[in-house]
This record gives sequence, structure tokens and C-alpha cells, in this order.
Amino acid sequence: MPLFKSRVAFQLARNARAFLYLDTGIVRGDAPPTLEVMEETQARLREQIQEARRALANRDHRISGLEKELGGYTVGAGNIAWIFGTVRTGSTWLASMMRDGHNHAMWNEPRVGELFGTFYESTAHRRDNENFVMGTHRKLVWLKSVRNFVLDSASARFPRFARDGLLVIKEPSGSIGAPILMEALPESAMVLLVRDPRDIVASALDAAREGSWAYELRGTRRREKQGLVGTAGAPIDDFTGKSQDEVVRDQASMYLRYVGNSRKAFDAHDGRKVLVRYEDLLANSLGTMKRIYSELEVEVDEEDLARIVKEHSWENIPEDEKGKGKFYRKGASGAWREDLTPDQAKVVEEITAPLLRELYPDETA
Amino acid sequence: MPVYRQNVLFEVARGIKAFLNFEAGLTRGLVPGEGDGPSLAEARRRLEDKNRQIAQLEEKLREGRSGAAVGDLKPENVVWMFGTARVGSTWLGSMMDEPTDHTMWHEPLVGALFGGFYYGRGAHRGGKHGILGGPDDKRSRAIRAFVLASAHEKFPEVKGDGYLVVKEPNGSNGAPLLAQALPESRMIFLVRDPRDVVSSNLSGKSEGGWTAEAFKRGRRKGTPPPTDPQTIVRKGAKKYLEFVGRSKEAFDAHKGPKILVRYEELRADTLATMKRIYSELGMKVDEDEVVRAVEKHSWDNIPEEKKGEGKFYRKATPGGWNEDLTPDQVKMVEEITAPLLEEFYPEKQTSQTGV
Repeated sequence: MPLFKSRVAFQLARNARAFLYLDTGIVRGDAPPTLEVMEETQARLREQIQEARRALANRDHRISGLEKELGGYTVGAGNIAWIFGTVRTGSTWLASMMRDGHNHAMWNEPRVGELFGTFYESTAHRRDNENFVMGTHRKLVWLKSVRNFVLDSASARFPRFARDGLLVIKEPSGSIGAPILMEALPESAMVLLVRDPRDIVASALDAAREGSWAYELRGTRRREKQGLVGTAGAPIDDFTGKSQDEVVRDQASMYLRYVGNSRKAFDAHDGRKVLVRYEDLLANSLGTMKRIYSELEVEVDEEDLARIVKEHSWENIPEDEKGKGKFYRKGASGAWREDLTPDQAKVVEEITAPLLRELYPDETA
Repeated sequence: MPVYRQNVLFEVARGIKAFLNFEAGLTRGLVPGEGDGPSLAEARRRLEDKNRQIAQLEEKLREGRSGAAVGDLKPENVVWMFGTARVGSTWLGSMMDEPTDHTMWHEPLVGALFGGFYYGRGAHRGGKHGILGGPDDKRSRAIRAFVLASAHEKFPEVKGDGYLVVKEPNGSNGAPLLAQALPESRMIFLVRDPRDVVSSNLSGKSEGGWTAEAFKRGRRKGTPPPTDPQTIVRKGAKKYLEFVGRSKEAFDAHKGPKILVRYEELRADTLATMKRIYSELGMKVDEDEVVRAVEKHSWDNIPEEKKGEGKFYRKATPGGWNEDLTPDQVKMVEEITAPLLEEFYPEKQTSQTGV
């Protein structure tokens, strides 16, 4: 029996860990495995996992093919490319460019991720209940139901979808459900679109002002008419009665949840995926678009792509649709330095610290 | 990579060995000995599941069927039980779970999943792009497939003439969507005087009550309920208005077999009310089994220690609110739930008319 066993590991730097392992004792028979043996076992395990993942991908491919062969769905899981992240990351711009490709279509914010994701998060206390429709022990079962629900809804929405087409589902507001959706549809592709959280909060502050596009068109004004303002689960565009500081705090917290969940989904996804920073898309739109399609393994005509990128460029948006309080506000990165007070920037940096450090290491104060 | 490694093993006596394994170093990624066991097990489980899925799809292909798997559960044999919490749905559901080939699904909350979004968070997103927006038939088709597939996976044994009673008081905010998705299903709309419902709610959430205790002892997780009695009463009445209101909307629109049941009638003559339920819903059932179920789940058969103030089984006495709520609280409930109180309990409409 071991008399003393200790294993200590600590992070020295990103991806670098120091460890110390000490195991000593007296046994009858064989001694416990040394770390060398453990390492060998671990390597074998890693190989087995890789093999299992490859087998899973093959099965997913077969399932997709069978589903299509059965004629139940016009849109197969392999036809879908999700755009996750959060709001005000430039997802409308990116999705519009992707929509215009040959045989491409775009589903603009169905919020299916919010339907399942918010419910799932708000019912954490029910997950151990065996009757609960999204219970932990039935996860594989309900993931299948989620999958069918998405494919059913997409096929109903796009009944004449091209067999080899690409359905871009722009889902920034549904990013809370990204882990569920990517797990349910592992053959689908994923774009994780991120932007500096301080720019996002600056954009939200502008939208929160009475008379802005969000107030008038998207959220508050419409919800006021429906008598829904202030009700539980009000959407993120409902800024009614909030002070500037509250908007800053809420939006930063939302960034942490939405981008955080998108990040989780991205890391866990073994299929086609690409991480895109809004800033890169802005600095080199054509180059970034080429990279997106290349990593998603989607063939596009380069001339077509250049034309599309040009059509959707900032310069081609009519002047009266751009500016303060409008949906197309600045089209710039780093403008938060002019728009946020130092205190507001500090609040955003503190709340979003883990993501800011990871996604914008050079911009971290 | 290890910087230092020392493994020593020597025999101290016959068959007894002393050992010392010491290792220190730096690594990128996993520390030696940190396993990936659970993810391999998970991957294997998924592989098995996907193999099953492929087999099912291949079978469907051979048989020339299409669409999502719904098994042998007949949609017309799904029996919804809507209303709200504290209306006696556990009691009624337990009785209906007893007969042979009758099964109860205890609060899957599938109504809360769709209703909470459609009428709440996603209400502003009802246009053609919204996942639950657009034409009713498209929405219903997707919800129908979700419900039937989930029910089939959970209860594969329910088939043929078997019934699945879905007790869904806390999912009643989605009743219209579920009923629309399964128009041939059966529906029980179970109501109770809102003052008794709120009174029962208040008892459970007050200090020492079963709900409050469950949170205190960690048996229930999530946001603890409010402790202020006025807040509990107001929230309880609003929930009644929303959940019973949605149930009524579903009940009025439903074309399939349906029945309105008052808790008070169920209490007054349980057996007769149960027979009426089965008869009006056109459900096949052995009368002897119903008699036995009623007897088994009668108030008298609940152990004394499980009954009483603050417990899940509290009073089972219609009109008990008269003793439990203050006049102010009664007024609050009556005002908030007025349209439903007027419709379902016209003779007891307000406390001023007496009960």
C-alpha cells in the first residue's frame, strides 16, 4: 500500500505546466505503475480517443446521408454553417456576404439557440430529474430531438434548398445555446465571430439611447407596443429604464456568457470551424473571407467573392444609413477609447477579463 | 518533458516490496497521469448511440418511411394535463398512472421550453425568421416531432392502445403550442380556486414549508423563492393567471377529446369524477382498476406524518384559503385572477359574496 502519494501541477505560463509526482510505499506483489507507464497508457488512450472521434465523424456523415436519402429534410446538418459570438460583432455584415455566394442562403437570427440554451441554463436545478425533457441522463436522446427540430424547421423554412448548398445561420443572439446546437449537429460548420468587448459595449450604449435604431426598430419601442417591456426574460435590446452604467454592466456580462458559450462550443467541436475577429474582417475583408471558406471547406468562386465583398463594403452603405444612433455606426475598431469613460472601460475589462485576455492579448490593459 | 525521474523498487522481505516513484518536470498539455478516461467512455457511448441511430434510419429506408422517429406511440393516446401547480395534478396523475397500459410522464416541462420562449423571451421574434415564428403548421410540425420523439425515447413501452398521461402543470404556459402540435391528443384542464392555489403556494414557500425547506437543505437548486408573503401571493396569483389562462386558451381551441375538471369536484366525489374523465376522453379502462387507484391514492391513505401545514400534502380542503390568507391577500388574488375566477368559480367570485 502507498504510504505517501502526492501529485502537484501548476501553470507556469500559457500551455506550460510544472509538475511534481511522488509515490512511495510498500506492496505485496507488483508495484504501482510509474509515471513512464502512465504516460504510455495515456498515449494509447489518446490514440483510442482519436480513433473514436474519427469513427464518430464517419457515423455523423452516414446519418446525414441517410436523413437526406429518406427525403425528410431539404437541409442536412452538413449544409449548415453557424455564426456564433454575440451581438454587434459584425455578424450582419459577415452573414450578408456569405448569403450572396452561389447556392448559399442565410437564416437571419432564428434564435433557436436561445430557445434551447436559455431554457437549459435556467433549469440547471432540474437536470438530475429523470422526467425532465432536457435531463442529463437523457442527453443523447434530447440532442437527437434538438437535431430533428432544427433540421425540420430549416427544411420548412427553405423547402427548395440546393442539395450542395450552404445555409448560413446567423445566430449571435442565440449564442447561449451554441454548445447544444453544435453537439446536436456535429457535421455542421461553425464560425466563431468575436470583437473587442469594449467596442461592443460602446455600440450598445449608442443603441440604448432613445431614438436609436435598436430603441425604435428592434427592441424597446416594438416591445412597448406589445406591452412586453420589463417582463421576465426581456431581450438584450430592451434598455428601458436602465442607466448607462447598467447597460455597460449588462452588456459586458452578456458578452461573457454568449462569447463564453460560443468559445466552449468551438473548443469542443471536432468538425469544420473558424475563429474570426471582426478587426481582421475589417482590416482585410477579402483575405479573411477566403480564409473562412477555406477553413470551412466550402468552395467559392474567387471573382464572385471579391465582387460580394466589394458590394458589402462600408463605402457602399448609403451615407444616410450610417452614423451615431444608426445600425451601421462607425465600422471601426478601437473606437471605444472615444466612446467609453475610463470607468466604463474598466468595468468591461474586469467582467470580460478571461475572454479579453484570450482573444485580445495585445489589447489587454 | 520530465526534468528528473527516479523509480526505485526493492524487496524488503519475501513477497514484500518497497517502492519510490519520483518525477518532476515541465510539460505542455497534460500532466502525466491525467487521464482522458471520461471522454473516451463518452465517445464510445456516443458511438453506440449513433450505431443505433443508423440502424433505425436504415430500417426506415428499407421500409420506405420518412421523417423523425416517433415509435409506436399513438399521438391520439397522449393525454395532456394542464392547469398550474398546486391544483391536485400529482394526485390525479398518480391515479391515472395506475391502470394497466396507462403511464404518466411527470412534468417533462416541454411546455415551459416552448411556451416560455414563444410567449416570453421570443415574443418579439414572431416573424418569418423566428424559430417559432411564421405559419402555425410549420411551427407545429417541428414541435410535434420533438414531443413525440422525446416521449417515444423516454417511454418506448407505450404503444398500441397504451396511453401516456403527460402531467404538465408547470409547462402549461406552452399549452396552446402543444395542443396545436398534437390536435388529435386528449386534454384534461384541471383547475382549482386560485385563492386555495395561492394559499397552498404560500404555505410551501413560508419558513418551514416544504418548498422553502427543499431549498434550505439543497434538495432543490436554483433561485430560492421570495420570503415576503405579499410577494409570494402576488407572484402566485400572476402565475395562475398566466398558466391557467394559457391552459384555457388551449382548451377552448382544442378539437380533440377534452375535459374540464375542478379540483373541488375531484375531492367531493373522486370515483365519479374519474369515471367522467375516462368516459369523456373516450379512454379504455378497467373500472375495477379505477376503483383500486382511487382507493390507493385517497387522502386517508397518505401517512399522517406526510400531511399538514407546510407539507406537500397540506389540507386537501377546498375553501381553506378563508383561514390561511389575510383579507388583503385575498383581495390581491381576486383582483389579479378576476377573469378566471369569474369564469370558473362564478358562485364564489369574491370574498365579499362569501364561500
